[in-house]
Order: sequence, then structure tokens, then C-alpha cells
Amino acid sequence: MPSLSIQGLTKRYGATVAVDGLSLDVGAGEAVALLGPSGCGKTTTLRMVAGLIEPGDGSIRLDGVDITRQPAYRRGMGYVFQSYALFPHMSVSANVGFGLDERGVGRAERDQRVSQALDLVRLQGLGHRKPKELSGGQQQRVALARALVIKPAVLLLDESLSNLDSKLRDAMRQEIRDIQRALSITTLFVTHDQIEAFTMCDRIAVMEKGRIAQIGSARDIYDDPVSRFVAQFVGRANVLPLTRTGDGLSLAGAPVSVSSVPTGDVDLFIRPQLVKLLAPSEPASGLDRLTGKVTRVSFVGERVEVVVDTAAGRIIVEPPAGTTPPDEGADIGVGWRPADARAFRREDA
Amino acid sequence: MTGVGAGPVLKVFAALVYAFLLSPVLIVIVISFSADSFIVFPPTGLSLQWYGRLFGHPALMAGLQFSLVIAVIVSVLSLALGVPAAYALAKGNFRGREALANLFLAPILLPTLVLGLALLLFFQPLRLTATIPGLVLGHLCVTLPFVVRMMTTAFATLPDEVEAAAATLGAPPWRVAQRVTLPLAMPGLLAAAALSFLLSFDETVISLFLSGPRASTLPVEMVRYVEGRTDPMIAALSVLLIAGTLVIVIAVEKLVGVTRAIGR
Repeated sequence: MPSLSIQGLTKRYGATVAVDGLSLDVGAGEAVALLGPSGCGKTTTLRMVAGLIEPGDGSIRLDGVDITRQPAYRRGMGYVFQSYALFPHMSVSANVGFGLDERGVGRAERDQRVSQALDLVRLQGLGHRKPKELSGGQQQRVALARALVIKPAVLLLDESLSNLDSKLRDAMRQEIRDIQRALSITTLFVTHDQIEAFTMCDRIAVMEKGRIAQIGSARDIYDDPVSRFVAQFVGRANVLPLTRTGDGLSLAGAPVSVSSVPTGDVDLFIRPQLVKLLAPSEPASGLDRLTGKVTRVSFVGERVEVVVDTAAGRIIVEPPAGTTPPDEGADIGVGWRPADARAFRREDA
Repeated sequence: MTGVGAGPVLKVFAALVYAFLLSPVLIVIVISFSADSFIVFPPTGLSLQWYGRLFGHPALMAGLQFSLVIAVIVSVLSLALGVPAAYALAKGNFRGREALANLFLAPILLPTLVLGLALLLFFQPLRLTATIPGLVLGHLCVTLPFVVRMMTTAFATLPDEVEAAAATLGAPPWRVAQRVTLPLAMPGLLAAAALSFLLSFDETVISLFLSGPRASTLPVEMVRYVEGRTDPMIAALSVLLIAGTLVIVIAVEKLVGVTRAIGR
């Protein structure tokens, strides 16, 4: 499986810069997610890799070969569209066999590979159907089989699961990840859904305004976001305004410590899972702490969410499974290890 | 129409409008079977004699043949020129696209009388009057805007991603057109072909300007015929033309219906 290397990729539409000097390497057999909010340039990037949009600047290399100006039909990339983009006038088999026909594959081999691909996505026996006779999930599988059957150099997935309902999405996530691993296909995957990015990819590139804000494993990005944007976009975080005191920082009068504090006005970021609930007067060695009142305890499916109002602001706490949640209205303390907190520059409101 | 609001008044009104529109056709059909030598209604007797004499009329038969030839050439050329133009207008992204789209539609706004005179003045020095190329070019001025317009709409409704998918699967542009775009646009293509055929076959004003002794279309021959005589033969011819048109319209309706059914 080839590796993909993107250098300084740029695309402008008039005055707006959709993709701004983006560089990214995807190793052979690796799955990388482009994660970001809509309008961050992730789909534009994917389309440039596929050859569907011409880059303004920069280069795209496949195993070192420059393909920046190569037309889409010569790139041999498997692209799964958000809309599936199946050929409505062709049967499922004809859809899947399309790329093989274009490669001049003989009838016997073609039929065999089509049926293998349909087996792979568990659609055996549905080859004669028309796309409109299939459910959304089945259409998604046809699109996947059609992209996989050509043995693509790189598999490109564009928000491929966003049109499915949540149960089906869970199943397809696993299925696509399994196929991707089994065939070890170099994959670039565009999504705005962090769960998709986390579960389906080896590395995640968080995109902001046409650039990569941070790239790394799911753990790295979650535990150690490099910017306010990444911290807020990936997972949830409590954001509390910090005040500078003479030699340190304080939260509503309580001194706190955070490593690497940027200049200017800063906010404290702490993940709900990393906040511990403490008895109001419980001494907490090694923890920065605040006191407050429990205003709401809610069961959100598999986890419990405790909302605590403190002098510094509202803090959401997710206690570990199995702990008894406090009563609403109770006085309570919250604390966290200084190493788990981050400080980011305050954004202009 | 939900039927809820269609009260008896509206129904009567609709019936009257249809009667007004269709009664001339009915009268023509009755007269075409007349046994009289003049147009009288109601006819004093019935016969098929005017149909028989029609097929023996050399000028009208020559006109029919000529019109069919012209209509076929015009339909083929309208699609050959109009379909790529419509594709570019629908999917292209280039400077002056709007202006070009309007330019293509401009002839629709011109009265055919003006168009016919202009073509006559333009074609005369080129010795194109009363020739097949001349008439074909004249008719194209009428049919092309319609084909471009219909096909632009047809192509614009095709999702771009389906074509993009074909490209990523290794199909160069002409294969995408052949395997995806044109099959999906087939209902529109059939309708456009039938419309250009009928528009050309029916075109009278421009043909009157551009026809000559040895190159004259059926409508022109019909005008000449009724200038000289008024007998039921022209009614018989009209019935045949109505029947022919109906066959084409129904055939397109069926084919397009069928294509749609197997398409999406």
C-alpha cells in the first residue's frame, strides 16, 4: 500500500482561503482522519487529493510520485461520497463493476471480484438490485464495495457515515475499520464527528480554517490539546476564567497552578472526567480545588453528569462509573490535578 | 388538482374550454371523410376519396418527404450542437456563462417573421435559399434554443457527485458522458429530439421565406394548395399530421416513462 504525502496544499476561492498551506503525511496502510467543523476545508482537501478539485498551490505525492496535476481518473483512488453517488441506472453489480470495466478487466475476473467485494460488505445476493431498492446502510456498503474493488491506492471517505442512523453508524464504523485494517488500505477520512475519527483512525488531524491545528493519536489530542480550538472541538471541557495575581494565577480567589501559561488573558480548561468530587471540607493534597453547590445531576445514558456552580463558574463533572452521585442542592468540593488542567488565551468575545 | 375545490362551475368551464380548443379538430376530421368536392359542413356523404387523392398528389407528397428529411437532419443537428452546449452551460464554470445562456435563448424572443426575413436577406447572397442546408440552418434557429434550454435543465438536475464518482473509478470524461451522464439524461434527450422534430416539421413562417420551387416543405406546399383551392384534401392531410404528431408525443411519453422507471 502506498503512502500519501501532501505538502503546502492551498486552495483559494476568490478572497476566501479554503485550504491554507496544509501539509500531511499518511503512512502506508495508515488511516488518518481530517476532523473539523464544517467549512474548515477538510472536504476540499479530500477532493484535491482525489483530483476532483484542482489545487491552487502545493503538491500531492503518492509513494513519492507527484500526482498534483493528474486527472482524477488516472489516480486510482477509491472515493466514498457522503451522498454515496451510486449510479441510479445501474444494478448494484454494475455499480461495483464500473471501475473494473474502466480498467479493462475481463468478464470472468470482473464478476469474481465484484462478488468478492459484495461478500466483503455483506451484500451477497443483492447484485441484481437497483440502488434505490436498497436501504441507506446497504447503499453505503455498495459505495464502499465500489471503491474497494478497484484496489485503490488510497481510500478516501467523505463524511461517509453521516447519513446513517446512529445504530447503523456504530456498526459501519466497526466494519469499515475492520476492512481497512484487514486490507491495510491507506485511508484518509473526513469527518466532523470525533467518535468516528477516534474509532476509525490511527491518527487524527484536527483542522481549523484550512490548516491543521494538531495532529496525533486520539489520546494525544484529547489529553494534550495544543490550542483552545482543539480543546473545545475535541471532547468537552470546562472553561473557567483565570485571574493573574502577583506571582501566579487564581480562580475566583483560589490559587491554582497550570503549566505553560500563554501571555494575556487566559482561561482554565479541564475535562469533566478529570474533575473529582470532594466533600466540602475534605483536604485535597496535590489538587487545585473549589467549592460550590450541586445544581443538577443528570443521567446521560451510560454516564452521570453532575453540574456544580462555583464562584468561578459552572463546572460539569463526570464521576467514574459506579460512584454514587451527590444530591442536588448539596454543598460540595471539586478538585483536579494541576497537570490535568490547561490554560489557553481568552478569545475575543 | 385535489378535486375538493373543483366545483360544478369549474368543471363546466373546463369542458367549454376543451370544446373550444378541440372542435376545429373534430370538424376537420369529419370533413376529411367527406364525399363532397368542396368544404361543406356537415358533409353530404362520407368517403375515403380525399385520402386516396392525397397520396396521388405529387407536390404535397414531395413536400412531405422533404419536410421529413429536413426534420430528421434538424433533430440530429439540434442534439449534436445543443446537448454539448447545454452541458457546458449547466456544469461549466467559466466567464460569460450567463451571457452565453441568454444568447442561446435569444431567438425564442424574436418573432419568426423577423427571423425569416433576416435569414432570407442573409442567405440570398450566400445562395442558401431554397436549399436543404438553408432550411436546416433556418430551422435550427428555432429548435436549438429549445434543445439548449431543455437539456440545460436536464443536466443541471443531475448530481455532480455521480459523475465525480465515475471519474474517481477511472472513467475519462468521454466515458463518464457515455456511461453515466447521457444515460441519466435520456428522458430529456428523447423529449428534446421529439420536440425539435415536431418544431421543424411544423415550422411554416421561416420555411415560407426560405423555400423555393424545388425545395419546399409540407407546410409551405399546404399554404400554396389552399391559396388555389378549398377542397377536403387538406383536411385529410391535417388528420394524418395530427395522428402522426400524436403518435410521436405518446411514444415519447411512454419511452420517457419507461426510462424513468428503470432509471431512478
